[in-house]
Amino acid sequence: MGQQPEDIAIINRLKGKDKDALYLLYDKYSSALFGVILRMCRNQSLAEDLLQETFVKIWQKIDMYDPNKGRFYTWAYRIAKNTTLNQIRKPDLLIQSEELGVDTNKTTPEDSPLDFAELNGAINKLEPHHKEAITLVYFKGYTHREANIAMGVPLGTFKSYIRQALQVLRESYSQALVLLWTLLNTF
Amino acid sequence: MDRKKILEEGLLEKYLLDELSETENQQVTIAIAKDQVLRQAFEKLEADFEAMAFENAIVPPLKVKERLQMQLDDPKVQYLPQTWLMVAASLTVIFLLSTFWMYYRWQQTEENYNNLQDQTTVLQERLNTIEENYTTTNQQLQRINGPQTIPLVLNGNDLSPSARVVAYVNHDKKTVLVNTQSLPNLPEDKTYQMWSDVNGEMINMGLVSPEEELVTLNYIEDAESLNITIEPAGGNDHPTVEQLIAFATL
Repeated sequence: MGQQPEDIAIINRLKGKDKDALYLLYDKYSSALFGVILRMCRNQSLAEDLLQETFVKIWQKIDMYDPNKGRFYTWAYRIAKNTTLNQIRKPDLLIQSEELGVDTNKTTPEDSPLDFAELNGAINKLEPHHKEAITLVYFKGYTHREANIAMGVPLGTFKSYIRQALQVLRESYSQALVLLWTLLNTF
Repeated sequence: MDRKKILEEGLLEKYLLDELSETENQQVTIAIAKDQVLRQAFEKLEADFEAMAFENAIVPPLKVKERLQMQLDDPKVQYLPQTWLMVAASLTVIFLLSTFWMYYRWQQTEENYNNLQDQTTVLQERLNTIEENYTTTNQQLQRINGPQTIPLVLNGNDLSPSARVVAYVNHDKKTVLVNTQSLPNLPEDKTYQMWSDVNGEMINMGLVSPEEELVTLNYIEDAESLNITIEPAGGNDHPTVEQLIAFATL
């Protein structure tokens, strides 16, 4: 399902316990996953541990991955997200928040050349409230229920924010694809 | 679960984000597998989210991949996350500091123990000396203080007016002890000598040194008097009566 052909071959090798296949997938996806994990936990060294743990789980659970049900990245994102949330929502890291009821840790980010909060690409073309809605559910790991409370809007409104935001993203990426396809044909 | 509900309630997004319950998850999975429209919608959603993730990718440090490789290459090596390594390092520092502190305290304690041991040795030596002195004094006291002991005072004559000797004579035990501390010192070539007068014959009892507190002398049977003379150093076989400085009659 929407899987890139080269990934399928690598994933089949990984299912055959080929470590090099895992390292190829690491090279391809680790940066995208690390961007998500780091923004979720806001702690450089913890994010590094969680990224390593995510790929160990990928190695151990690859037999459970069914390419017919979705992209490899989507599956890996879920593992990374759950691994991170399990870590940062441990009882000793929970802090009661008036906003959310239960918020994740408020650890101070370690020194890093990057501002974790800063986002790039098409998401910056969104309306501020749409961008916030996407950021909360995708880069902060909030559920829809938590996110709509955090934004102070009804759940239905929040769902419409998400839908509208995704529509804008879709158009943005479609235009980019068209542009890329045109450029490739030109040259 | 129909397409309309899935699309209108945003279940595809929740499905992608792994927010659905297990039952809903299965229902959406089945629906996507059966419904081409849903499948395409989900594929687009996945592609969009993936594209957004790549636009916001952050390259992790190389050491993460190296640690992953080490962990998978050698399963015997226990996986130690960096945070745990930091905890372990902190514990190691605490352990080292504790060890140094304990070592310092141990050294101090050992020094104190050695000092105490030295003091104990000194005290033990002093105790031994005191016990020895006590035993000697006690023995001397018993010898001069018994009911059978007769104390005699020998006062100096004109030759040695300051001389004063106390003799303790015990006829039962046949002992004579003399306290000579009040005898004046003599030149090196002279000595005091004590004699018993038995039927007019002077019998040698021994030399008397002024430096000793109590001197044990020979007990002579049937002595009528005790006499002290000044003799050449080393003593004399017969008393020099001209040098008689003190006597006492028994």
